Amino acid sequence: MSVIAAPARGRRVPEGFWWVFPSILVLLALSIYPLLYAVKLSLADRRNFTRLLSDRLFFTAGVQTIVLTLAALAIEFALGLALAVLIDSLARGRTFFRTALLVPMLLPPVVAAVAWRLIYNPQFGVLNGSLRRLGFDTSHLTWTSGEGSALASVILVDVWEWTPFLFLLLSAGLQAIPTEPLEAARVDGAGAWRIFCDVTLPLLKPTIVLALLLRGMDLVRIFDQIFILTQGGPGTATETVSLYIYRTAFRFSNFGYAAAMSFVLLAATLLFSRGLLKAMRAR
Amino acid sequence: MNAGVEGTALKAAAQEWGAAHGVHIEVVELPYANLFEKEQLDLSSQTGAYDVIMLDDPWFPSMAGDLAKLPRPPDSDFVTSCLNVCRNPYQSGEYFALPYVGNAQLFFYRKDLFEKYKLGPPQTWDEVLAAAKKIGAGEKMYGYVMRAAPGNAVVADFMPLLWAFGGDVIDATGKVVCNSPAAVAALRFMLELGKYSPPGYAGFNADEVSAHLLEGDAAMSINWPAWIAAMDDPAKSKVVGKIEFSPMPSERKPGVGELGAWLVAVPKGSKHGSDAFDFIYWATEPAQMKEAALRGNPPTRRSVFEAPDLIAKFRAFPAQLASLEAARPRPRTAQWNEIENSFGIYLSKANAGAMDPLQAMLAAAEAIGTILERH
Repeated sequence: MSVIAAPARGRRVPEGFWWVFPSILVLLALSIYPLLYAVKLSLADRRNFTRLLSDRLFFTAGVQTIVLTLAALAIEFALGLALAVLIDSLARGRTFFRTALLVPMLLPPVVAAVAWRLIYNPQFGVLNGSLRRLGFDTSHLTWTSGEGSALASVILVDVWEWTPFLFLLLSAGLQAIPTEPLEAARVDGAGAWRIFCDVTLPLLKPTIVLALLLRGMDLVRIFDQIFILTQGGPGTATETVSLYIYRTAFRFSNFGYAAAMSFVLLAATLLFSRGLLKAMRAR
Repeated sequence: MNAGVEGTALKAAAQEWGAAHGVHIEVVELPYANLFEKEQLDLSSQTGAYDVIMLDDPWFPSMAGDLAKLPRPPDSDFVTSCLNVCRNPYQSGEYFALPYVGNAQLFFYRKDLFEKYKLGPPQTWDEVLAAAKKIGAGEKMYGYVMRAAPGNAVVADFMPLLWAFGGDVIDATGKVVCNSPAAVAALRFMLELGKYSPPGYAGFNADEVSAHLLEGDAAMSINWPAWIAAMDDPAKSKVVGKIEFSPMPSERKPGVGELGAWLVAVPKGSKHGSDAFDFIYWATEPAQMKEAALRGNPPTRRSVFEAPDLIAKFRAFPAQLASLEAARPRPRTAQWNEIENSFGIYLSKANAGAMDPLQAMLAAAEAIGTILERH
């Protein structure tokens, strides 16, 4: 049987339609229905969207989400690219370094956050303990507990855990670059830096875009590390939109307002992705 | 039920009751952070997924409407403060739950160091501050340790100070009063105590506070009964037998700890209501509560607290009972979770040095007022 006819209208259903039909139903039930339900929830009270405009905590959380996303993404990209280039240039031990570098990424984020919470403890943590042994005064180093240092401490954990992800993607991208253009540039007398800037980077651009997009979208939704490390504090120093949405929905039982904030976050993520794509295309 | 020490005894009781009555009981344990959301979702949609729920007392006002009324009122052996939070409205209404875990904050202090420095047990917060200075300087340790992470942590450590200074968050008429001079003075005092606390206390939760006490590098703190056993456990503690437990110090008003009772209740949507009520009445009988106490559960019955064999085993029981009798619940409003979150943010900011006390309390009052207006 190659086609299934729909006799009432005489139209022909494409081959294989009924084979994928159950999957479509599952997708509709699990993805589209909750999305539409969230739209309904957010619109049930129109004040949900007007409240957003005057909600200072939402504004603070939004600004911090942007700062955290941009800072972590920039550092992770720079480190990931540097490591990828460095390890790609090694004559021996590439497999070992690649495997070793992936270890932080393989840990569940919650486990990594718990470990870092212990590491950051000002009194008993290994970080301040090591610094004290080296003769430093750590009395002012409060890491996640300090108003000025909490966000940077959270960013550091994210960089530690997710730089390997960018390294992995960029490393794969580097390996996929054909050798001919590189050899041609070398023959023309270009130096290593010139080859990297004018040949390697342009050829790596599709991978860079993909890596930044995937990591950027994930960063905008950051939740688990902050929930474990600081719960948004001290004060609101590490409050992010995801954390605020979680609290609004599951602690304050205000699902409509949480849905409204989720749609704003979704729109921001789409804008971020589009902006990134545009910027990369323009270069 | 809560997947912590508070749920251990109830879980064992459920299994015992199920075996004795030939009823299959499935126990669902959830971490504190997820328990509220699961229960709230079940109650609001009346799915009947759970026949008995264990709830923290501040959740009761928002859940009471979806709980089944108790078929008969509890007896008078239960501690009154625990019974009051099972009634809707508070103190005067019908009963919708039974108190199972009798938690109230206690004051923990190093008895050996108080004796060394010839200090009497701390009766007032001023005495606490003076002792923190003296012991801290003399022993090269932290005189006091508190938790000031945003949310529940900092609010729980601040409420006894706020009440002792004569302040409150919301008054009896529902008006926000956390910007009163008494409340600002209480926060100033908290920051003063913070000077004798370990660096980074603005991010501390209960585990960090207890770690400092267990390591013997802090002399005093507010803490919950759940940590008493650890203080005297040689495997965990360097201060076995050195910590004394007392009711909360006073100041302008008598000392009052925060009540943190865990209740058991039957959802309206329960499909096995009769069995569920039989179980919760059985589990809170004196004999069962004594069994639960031996499993580490702070009781809610006077007769269990006063049992000589239990007092011999649990030296803090007299202090726990005194503290529980005097304990105050958090304000009885369905919006408490949201209010606590806002209040906690500003308290945490003040403790982290990002706001001065007056500024923090004015901002907290404004935020809490907005929450109450919205509802």
